Amino acid sequence: MKKKMIRLLLAATLTVSTLLTGCGDSAASQVVIYSNADDEAVTAMKNALDGNGYEGKYIIQTFGTSELGGKLLAEGKDIEADMVTMSSFYLDSAQKTNQMFRDLTFTSNALDTYPSFYTPITAQEGAIILNTQMMQDNNLPAPTSIKDLANPEYAGYLSVTDVKSSSTAWLLIQALISAYGEDETKTILTGIYKNAGDHIEESGSGPLKKVRAGEVAVGFGLRHQAVADKAAGLPVDYVDPAEGNFTLTESVAVIDKGDKSNQMAMDMAECIIKNGRKELLETYPIPVYEGETAPAGAASGNPQKFSEPLTAELLKKHQELSEECK
Amino acid sequence: MKKSKNIELKIIFIGILLFFLTFFLLPLLSVIQKSVVDSEGVTLSHFAEVLQGGSFLQALGNSLLISAFSAVVTTVLAFILAYSIQYTNMNGTLKKFIRTATILPMFLPTITYGFAIIYSFGKEGLLTKLFGRQLFHLYGFNGLLLGYVIYTLPISFMLLQNTMHYIDKKFTVVSRIMGDSVIRCFFTSVVRPMLGTFAASFIQCFFLCFTDFGIPASVGGKFEVVAGVLYNEMLGSIPDFNNGAVVAIIMLLPSVVSITMLKILEKYNIRYNKVSEIELKKSKLRDMGFSVLSIVILTCILSVFAVIFVIPFVEEWPYRTTFTMAHIRQVLSDSALLSVYGNSIYVSILTAVIGSAVVYGAALITARSTLSVKCKQIIEGIALVTNTIPGMVLGIAFMLSFKGTPIQNGFIIIIVCNLVHFFSTPYLMMKSSLEKMNVSWETTARLMGDSWFKTIVRVVTPNAYTTILEIFSYYFVNAMVTISAIIFIAGAKTMVITTKIKELQYYNKFNDVFVLSLLILLTNIVVKGMIQFLANRKSNNKTKKEES
Repeated sequence: MKKKMIRLLLAATLTVSTLLTGCGDSAASQVVIYSNADDEAVTAMKNALDGNGYEGKYIIQTFGTSELGGKLLAEGKDIEADMVTMSSFYLDSAQKTNQMFRDLTFTSNALDTYPSFYTPITAQEGAIILNTQMMQDNNLPAPTSIKDLANPEYAGYLSVTDVKSSSTAWLLIQALISAYGEDETKTILTGIYKNAGDHIEESGSGPLKKVRAGEVAVGFGLRHQAVADKAAGLPVDYVDPAEGNFTLTESVAVIDKGDKSNQMAMDMAECIIKNGRKELLETYPIPVYEGETAPAGAASGNPQKFSEPLTAELLKKHQELSEECK
Repeated sequence: MKKSKNIELKIIFIGILLFFLTFFLLPLLSVIQKSVVDSEGVTLSHFAEVLQGGSFLQALGNSLLISAFSAVVTTVLAFILAYSIQYTNMNGTLKKFIRTATILPMFLPTITYGFAIIYSFGKEGLLTKLFGRQLFHLYGFNGLLLGYVIYTLPISFMLLQNTMHYIDKKFTVVSRIMGDSVIRCFFTSVVRPMLGTFAASFIQCFFLCFTDFGIPASVGGKFEVVAGVLYNEMLGSIPDFNNGAVVAIIMLLPSVVSITMLKILEKYNIRYNKVSEIELKKSKLRDMGFSVLSIVILTCILSVFAVIFVIPFVEEWPYRTTFTMAHIRQVLSDSALLSVYGNSIYVSILTAVIGSAVVYGAALITARSTLSVKCKQIIEGIALVTNTIPGMVLGIAFMLSFKGTPIQNGFIIIIVCNLVHFFSTPYLMMKSSLEKMNVSWETTARLMGDSWFKTIVRVVTPNAYTTILEIFSYYFVNAMVTISAIIFIAGAKTMVITTKIKELQYYNKFNDVFVLSLLILLTNIVVKGMIQFLANRKSNNKTKKEES
């Protein structure tokens, strides 16, 4: 029995030591990409990379925005990834705390100016989402603006996201502040939160989930997700609000690992921007670079841009405004 | 003499201590450090900021209330189910069904719970449609209670049923012969020996509810809980680890109370020389009553999960309900799936093997050693505090502590994290079963000339065999379904199947989420079945030996 135990112990030690050392060599050759992007964007990036000779030379691992945000902040330069794609203002914060990204070595001719260490892969828009069946069953008038969502007839039928937990809600707040100023925004937002009641969601995809499940009739979320649902034949529709479809960008950045930096990561980042944008535009129809146009029929009704740069500080200010309205 | 007697246990103790110092205290310290440090040095400003944050105290109060209430409800329900199995003569098949069905929810990732509740009791829910109306207001207290009870019932049931199994049923007979009334007999021979376990069950359930984020995220509504505040601070749109750490540390406070509570109840624990099987008194009424109660409880729980078996097989619930195998085919054709599934199995098996060994060692120290009270208290403390750390915090703490080390992004860190995360419940099960065994076995064996090691192998282990198998499967199943901590520490090559589920959840692909959930469920049932088979074979052998 004792012998058996010793053998077991030996086997265990052996397994552990292989586990510890096993993953050294192969990891160095492959570029690890961490991304918070949706399926469609990941596919577009994969197509761009595979079509340009990088097939099998990278691994993409996707995360939720909040988890990836946590990883960037906690691990800094020690992160496994060589390259990330992520909501831009998270990249700003991560760079500020950890100084973890390299300056990009390629030019991209973006329409806007961005920091030297990232460049956008997509611009994502906010829109009002409807469950057409629920709207009909409950005789609800279709809203045309975000302001409409504060009307009492939508009480109990509305779901929005909390800007404290997800930046998707920021698109709604940006729209309101741009159109009505901060004071009136507070009044409208108070009405919206009152109507949403139990359905103020933590996750950006929460409202769409509730709309799909038939728990609510109206939600506010990412436009491209509603477009996809409608195309898939669900009783889901979307409204481009009168205040405008505001946007947040997701960008690509390359981790600075000093001597251990994988040069191929920078090349792949360039490849995604140079070769992936065409396919990305089909799902996220907002031109970001010179010479781009939205595919016919896909463009949103009313694209708008917030007047100030979208920094973490601005977000914090808007969070505080939102907390006052709860 | 006394010194040499405990040498093996001392080595085990030191090993366990080192393990938890490295993989629990160190990460915990990194969290504590975050809570009191800013760019200028040591500060209490994060505490001030969080406590002045208006809704924090309200959320904390809400959490204490709902968690305590859920823990009581769960423990009572679990007691009814466990009592039905151990103290009634109800039909054997029914007993088997109770045993399996009660722990079924544990085989599924908790990510599915909130969604299952909405798709059962929501406006378009399966049960709402069956009954023609919404049964109750779903969001807030009711929804949380339902979710928490389903979530914690398996654990409470396992704890209670495990202890009850080791209670000598003859005491019931003795009590009755001595002329005790039915009620008095029930209290002296069943409730009293169970007091410690009741407290353990209450505490386990309380903290599971207190620290869970998934269920409130789905059905919490306006009823804000502290886990939601934690999430907003740690992983919200502006992640702030300092404030998050403050919330996490305040969440540890209730565990201090619980350590005291368990200590007080310690003295009620009773040891038995042997566990004797007796013929229970015949009572049709009792058997019928408990059968009906058990069936009602389980029907309520299983009906919530019915949607998980329906949704993957229809086109688009609830709008197009034609049967299809497309979702199943689509998910299973994903080439990456096989490798993450393989990773999951690998991680779960290693977690179960190493975990069972660690738990067994730890329980031997507290339940069957003469090591000092201090040593025992340390282990008890570890067991309770590991249970009070939300998975999210554990994951982030592991990232902070082990970044840049060779174990980062490897399998070993996932396995170790699982060991720590799920240490508490199996430890309590193991401890209470070892405690119920006669304390003098080791001494007797020593007098007969056996070494301590031999006694453990020949006498104690065979008697604890069922529990060891239970804790093995507990670790396996939990490693299979867990997500909250490992999402942060799994690397691109060590991703497990639940991280895939999390991805799909972000894209609202619930058809696919449920397909994978079913795959996990199936795996867990198969493993559990295999373990059950082993347990039965063992007990058959035992009876055969005794007969010959």
